[in-house]
Amino acid sequence: MNERIELPQGTLDLLILRTLALEPQHGWGISERVQHMSSDVLRIQQGSLYPALHRLERRGWIKARWGTSDNNRRAKYYELTRSGRKQLATEKDSWQKLTTAVAQVLGPA
Amino acid sequence: MLNDFLFRLRSLFRREIVESEMEDELRFHSESQLEKYMKTGMSRDQGLRRVQTEFGGLEQVKEDCRDARGVSLVEGLARDLRYGWRTLLKSPGFAAAALFTLALGIGANTAIFSVVYGILLRPLPFRDPARLVLLNETTPRVGKVSVSYPNFQDWRAQSHTLSEMAAVSNVGFNMAGASQPENIGGLAVSPNFLSMAGVRPVIGRGFTADEEKAGSAPVLLLSYALWQSHFGGDRRVVGQTIRLDSRTVTIVGVLPRDFRWVERYDVMEPIGVWATNNGSVAEREDRGDLVVVGRLAAGARIEQARAEMDGIAARLARAYPQANDQCGVSLQPLREAFSGDSRPAMMVLLGAAIFVLLVACANVANLFLMRGSVRAREMALRIAIGASRGRIVRQILTESFLVALLGGLAGVGLALAGIPAIARLIPPDTLAGASVGMNGAVLLFSAALVALSIFVFGLAPALDSAGGNVQSALKEGGKATSAGARNRWRGLLAASEIALALILLVGAGLMIKSLYRLLAVDSGFRPERVLKMEMSLRTAQYDKDPAVIGFWQQVLDRVRALPGVESAAVGTAIPLTDDHSRTDITVEGMPLPKPGSYPHPDTHTVSPDYEKTLGIRLLRGRGFMDADRENAPRVALVNETVAQRLFPGADPVGKRFIFGHLGPNRAPKWATIVGVVADTKMYGLANPARLEVYVPFRQMAANDMVLLVKSRQEPAALVSAIRGVVVSIDKEQPIFGIATMQEVVNASVSTRRVTLILLGLFSGLALVLAAIGIYGVVSYSVAQRAKEIGIRMALGAQPGDVLRMVLAQGGKISIVGIAIGSAAALGLTRLMAKLLYSVSAIDPATFAAVAFILALIAMAASYIPARRALRLDPLVALRNE
Repeated sequence: MNERIELPQGTLDLLILRTLALEPQHGWGISERVQHMSSDVLRIQQGSLYPALHRLERRGWIKARWGTSDNNRRAKYYELTRSGRKQLATEKDSWQKLTTAVAQVLGPA
Repeated sequence: MLNDFLFRLRSLFRREIVESEMEDELRFHSESQLEKYMKTGMSRDQGLRRVQTEFGGLEQVKEDCRDARGVSLVEGLARDLRYGWRTLLKSPGFAAAALFTLALGIGANTAIFSVVYGILLRPLPFRDPARLVLLNETTPRVGKVSVSYPNFQDWRAQSHTLSEMAAVSNVGFNMAGASQPENIGGLAVSPNFLSMAGVRPVIGRGFTADEEKAGSAPVLLLSYALWQSHFGGDRRVVGQTIRLDSRTVTIVGVLPRDFRWVERYDVMEPIGVWATNNGSVAEREDRGDLVVVGRLAAGARIEQARAEMDGIAARLARAYPQANDQCGVSLQPLREAFSGDSRPAMMVLLGAAIFVLLVACANVANLFLMRGSVRAREMALRIAIGASRGRIVRQILTESFLVALLGGLAGVGLALAGIPAIARLIPPDTLAGASVGMNGAVLLFSAALVALSIFVFGLAPALDSAGGNVQSALKEGGKATSAGARNRWRGLLAASEIALALILLVGAGLMIKSLYRLLAVDSGFRPERVLKMEMSLRTAQYDKDPAVIGFWQQVLDRVRALPGVESAAVGTAIPLTDDHSRTDITVEGMPLPKPGSYPHPDTHTVSPDYEKTLGIRLLRGRGFMDADRENAPRVALVNETVAQRLFPGADPVGKRFIFGHLGPNRAPKWATIVGVVADTKMYGLANPARLEVYVPFRQMAANDMVLLVKSRQEPAALVSAIRGVVVSIDKEQPIFGIATMQEVVNASVSTRRVTLILLGLFSGLALVLAAIGIYGVVSYSVAQRAKEIGIRMALGAQPGDVLRMVLAQGGKISIVGIAIGSAAALGLTRLMAKLLYSVSAIDPATFAAVAFILALIAMAASYIPARRALRLDPLVALRNE
């Protein structure tokens, strides 16, 4: 819990898109997934998750439909659209370039 | 892009669904989270608390989602508007004051702009009107004069920068056939005028090139107005004939409704017809009544055309020194000819109206600030529960927008009511057929004013409200957040109102002084109880001098016999107009000058009693008598200026001169000067006297004359009797231009008078608003400081001390305002120098008087709240806190 890191600006969209690339998911599922995949280091605040989802939906990168959750409740599922996939590829690419570059600058410790 | 738009639309129009979906989604999240916590062994209550902490403000998340969906801009605006509307309704006093103030400001501007647009800005009803120019000839002695026809023909043949040129001349006609004979205005034009201007007759045809030549069959186009008023708009009018000056003229078409010209006109003829009746038109010296309109060739600028025309004029002056010595050419955009000299006055008035609006905005801003301090707690509360400062600013701006919009609508309403009144004030020759009224451009201007107002009065209160310290606002129990800063704002606004009002008042003061001085100028004549009526003898029976002279003599004899007539005279000119004919004269024995340097006086043909009827003083010698007849020795009167300039140090009486130049073949017809009369303001009160020569009407017959009648009582009562006299002599002779000389005097200063009236109105408005502004600031601060004043009085402060303290606040504001205003006015009044007469634009007396009046009014405005402060009961004041 103490290891948690504040998400750098702009990475939230990338994380959401990446998570949705695996399978359609609802908001809570996305935040659980990210937390799990990052070994509890990354936690998404609800306060930023939902505005981000609505923003991505408006951009047309994800789309929403209502489905039934594991525990049999009505939940809003998001899935990647075709342009969302493209966007994920670009963002992933630039993220990797960025991290490689930052790593190079920092050099071997 | 499309996706984005549809998405927003759905968010906007299916708001309920979207909102409930958002609700469901967020609930699902918190419930899932709760279940997760409960699985780890937390109690339900513990889990719920944890979820709530993590979630933060649910409303805030929703708001952020709305923002993300992009709906909230529109939806938020609608909500702000509804909210703003409700808050306005809750404080009707505030709303009414703000709306009324703004409506006055925007109304004044809209009304003035409608005039400015109609006269100065609306494109003339011609094709590509910006490339049309008006050409006149110029002489060093007179300035702009009419163009001689042969010169026009040479210009047209030689100019390349002007692709086309057409001559336009004003002619008057007597039209028979209507219920009573009428004098109508006509334009005689080169046939290419219509095609050059891009004007197409609504019915019938234009003119053909042949109709430029003398001797072509007489044809004419009707103005739309005459077609409607005299022919009932009948389309079969083409081909019909009417009788003008006992000629039969065929109607070939009707001009479009929006066609207008600098002067009034009823019909248009091709110039060939006009030329037939003017034998002298072929002479280069004759500068009858012709102006030339030209169209700049593609790519040519007016400066190039000017340079080219200067060269052509110089060549013509060398070729025809007798006619053209020292003659130049002036070019001006046709637009300027239409707006005449009204531009400076209109610009000043538009500026003044903008100032009124600024004063109004300052007042409304003050109202908002005052309300802002009352609402500081509300705003602080909203910030505390999560509204962003941006939202607060937006909401206040929305309220400002509502006030400005409603104020603008009310202002346009006021303008609609006021425009006809203002339009009636404008002299017809300034209007030149322009229509003044509401239209798209004017509305657009009003909309711009609304936007400007929001900016001017809305921003300060909005920033002020959002900038307060939340905690202190809540703690202080609803008192002003930053009272000091806000009061500074308010003081500054009130001071700027005073400054603006001062500028306007100084402007109005200077105009009043100018008009007063102008009307006090010795005009050289006495307008009281004098009536003028014009007649133009144009039918064939008046082709010969004896008939003309006989007509005037009969009119004079019979009018003089009417009861109530003190004296009567005819003359070709009356003072305060600028339509006078001039001729070179040669004084006996003077050294002969170059052709362009002869004395060039105005020459007036007048009857005996002319100077007596107009009250012009006879300084020397005698006036004309009945004995100064056709075969008697030729005589003349001159004015004082002629006496001083042409006969310095000598008595002009008994001296002789001839009209024109001495010719080798002719025996000179010397006229002997028999008297000297005082200078009269022939060209308007503000203009200096010129050389004037008068000759008896029996020795130089004139067909166009003004009948002047001085009556014992009210002159207007004589009109019908005089009409009767004229009808009994010639029943087809129309009378026109009926007015009293007092009306002529008034008309000659009408532009100044209108400017003064409107400027006075505006400055009065600004003064009242500024007084209200100061009153508001001072009384508000008295209310705010009631506790302090109560304590002071409880501690033994004297009423005088309290009074002084309150008055000092108002005094400080007015001193700052007056200082800033005076400095600004010193710079700004220069812009109206053209409108002033014998008053300096920085006239110290006017400045001092205005500053004094303003200081007095500011004191009065702060005295009322000061009195209220005195009446404060210390106990009550303290208890209320």
